[in-house]
Parts: sequence; C-alpha cells; structure tokens
Amino acid sequence: MIVRIGLIAMCAAALAVTAGVRYALTACLGIAIGFTLERFGFGFAGPWRRLIRERQGQGVLAQCVAIGLTAIVIQPLIASSSSLLGAIAPISLTMILGAFVFGFAMQLILGCGSGTLVNAGSGNLIALVALPAFCVGSFLGTLILPAAMASTPHVAISLPETLGVPQSLLVTLLGLVALAWWATRGQGGDRWNRPLLIAALCIAALASLHVLIAGQPWGVVYGLGLWAAKMAMGLGWEPSAAAFWVHPINAQALSNSVLTDTTSLTDFGLIFGAALAAWKGAGKTPLTPMVRWWLYGAIVLAGLALGVSSRLAFGCNVGALFSGIASGSVHGWVWLVAAFVGSVGGVRVRDWLWQRVTQTEAA
Amino acid sequence: MTRRLGIAGAVLLVALIIASDWIFGGAPNPYRAPDPIAWGSSSGASGAICTFAPPTPGQ
Repeated sequence: MIVRIGLIAMCAAALAVTAGVRYALTACLGIAIGFTLERFGFGFAGPWRRLIRERQGQGVLAQCVAIGLTAIVIQPLIASSSSLLGAIAPISLTMILGAFVFGFAMQLILGCGSGTLVNAGSGNLIALVALPAFCVGSFLGTLILPAAMASTPHVAISLPETLGVPQSLLVTLLGLVALAWWATRGQGGDRWNRPLLIAALCIAALASLHVLIAGQPWGVVYGLGLWAAKMAMGLGWEPSAAAFWVHPINAQALSNSVLTDTTSLTDFGLIFGAALAAWKGAGKTPLTPMVRWWLYGAIVLAGLALGVSSRLAFGCNVGALFSGIASGSVHGWVWLVAAFVGSVGGVRVRDWLWQRVTQTEAA
Repeated sequence: MTRRLGIAGAVLLVALIIASDWIFGGAPNPYRAPDPIAWGSSSGASGAICTFAPPTPGQ
C-alpha cells in the first residue's frame, strides 16, 4: 500500500509541475473519492436496486446525508464568491427522457457515472466493456444536444437565486429528509449503516473541497465525452461543425490538455482510487464473470445509452443528482424522479436478462 | 486470470488517453496554470461541467 501511495504522490507532484497545482489537487480529490466509494461500497445504482427489490433504503439514506451536508457547505460558498460555479442546468422534456433512459441503463450494468469508473478501476470486466461505449455515447450526446435544446423549451431554476440561500437550503434539506423517510419507511432492522454513513461524510467533505479547489461541483460525464471528442478529432472529425464544441468553453477544453480538464482529472482519479482500494482483494477474484457473450452486446448498448442520455439530461447521478441538488438546481430533483422511474424498469429487465443467462447455462 | 488484470487494463486505458492526448494534442503549459485554489481567486471555474447547456438561438 505504501508503494502505491508513493507512486500516486509522485504522479501528483509531476502533474503539479507540468500542469499546475490546482490540477494536481483536483486529481488527488478524485483519487480520494474513488478510494472512498470502492472501500466503503458507497454508490448510486446499487442502493437504488436494493430499495426497489428489497425495500432496503440504507444506501439512499446515506446518499441524502452526503448531498445534504454538501449543500450546507457549497450553497453559501457559491453565492458568496464570483469565482465559484454551481451545477445548475435546465429542465425540459428531453432532459427528463434522458434521465429516465440513464436510470434504466445504469441498472442493466449496475453502474452509474461514478459507478462505471469505480467498477472499471476495481477490475470489473463489465464496466471495462461499458466504459468506452459510455465515452462514445457521451460524445454522440454532445452532437444531439443542440438540436434537443432547440426542439423543446429548457428552463433552468436555481433555488439560491430564486429564493435566497437560507430558503434554498431549507427547501433542499426538507426535500432530502422527505426522500430519506420515504426510502426507509417500513424498513426492518437498523436504518443507519455505519460504513455507508462514514463514506457519506467523506464524500461530502471531498465534494465540498472540490468546489473550493476546482471552482465547480464534482462531475463525471463531461470528461468522458471530451476524451471521445479528442479521439474523433484524431480520426478526422471537424469540431467546427458541432454547435456544442464551438462554444468557447468547450472549444478551449478540446484544444487544451486533458490534464487541465477538471472532470477528466476527477474521472482519472476515480479509476486510480478504486484500483488502489481494490488491488489487494482483486488477487483472489476471477476476472471473467459467468456471463454469455451476447450479454456483452447488451452491455455495450447500455454504455452507449448511458453516454447519450447523460448528456441530454445534463449530467449523471453525480453532475445532475448529487451536485445538482447540492447546488440548489431544481433539475437535480427532476432528474432524480425520472431516473428512479427508469431504474424500476431497468431492475426488472436486468433480472430477466440474468435469468436467461442462468437458464442457458443450465441447459 | 484475476481482477488484477482488469485493474491493469483500466490503468493502461487511462495512460493511453493521457499519452495520446499529450503526443497528438500537446503538453499542458504550467505557465498558464490557474491559482491553486479557485475560491477567492481571479481564475475561477473553467465552466466545462456536466450541467453545461450551450445557449441556443431564441432561448
């Protein structure tokens, strides 16, 4: 472990020298988040699945704690500093559809935005197959997004700007308390899971530090689309024809190094952090899960769907749900409802698919 | 084959992305680095974020 931490410290120092201290700190935050998610089993797709199938809401309760604590820190910070940016996005029909599809697809591969990266970092073959498709899908989503935005009205509502920070925080926290109560109502046993709550505290602290250091909340899918866009450029794609990529912010991200892109750095960090946490136990776990080859086709399709839908929905479970709600964006709440409804369908389809695999193997 | 092979594959994937971007897109410029912390800095957030919505005509 000491050798691995030393290697990561050397990489961070090299990044600080070659790109800048802020980028090195952002990557270290990503590593810490990835390590926490993998070590404590904190996630989004899995807890939603347990809530839908077994009515166990401990994971969702931990999510609410993490989002609520982050909101308490970042909403006043963002309102008081012009150099900080909240995760505020518009609500629209295409956004709702995107969130629904994302919720459905994330249950098929049991990996959301952060989950796919963490699972890939921990050596999960399904996530390793889904991740490149997720990147390509996210890039395709950037090509579709301008047409989607032109086709339906998009309305962004920021609670801190509309109500003021104290009222926005009150609404956000009341909403999270109501969600936590709904998720754990009628649940037998203890509602509080100690490791998940420790993880929630760590994630809240790291997500708040992310805003202070990077100036914007934690996100995942922007980086994935950027990597695929850079690959496409290498294959001859011309970004000047894409409305999304001609915007100065995106054009700059495209021309600059990935080592200076905030979401790319935290994404790399998630993979490295999960790898660090999983390495010891990974030596005893077989690489290939017992699944049929055609299931990998379904995984690629689900990865593509995750990418396209997360772009249309202005984020995944991290950028839209976690950071959106914590920033006071109403779109985060709409994303939550749409994605959960999609997840209910996704859980059923995943169970059906796995049942078919079992039957095929038994025959 | 254990999951350590998968971990190595994931780390290799990241290394490939960084290396190909460095070779074909250019190295980062440390002299254009922003302040270490965005809070209270004149060099704030990049704005390249998942919730980014490109402005469309008429909206």
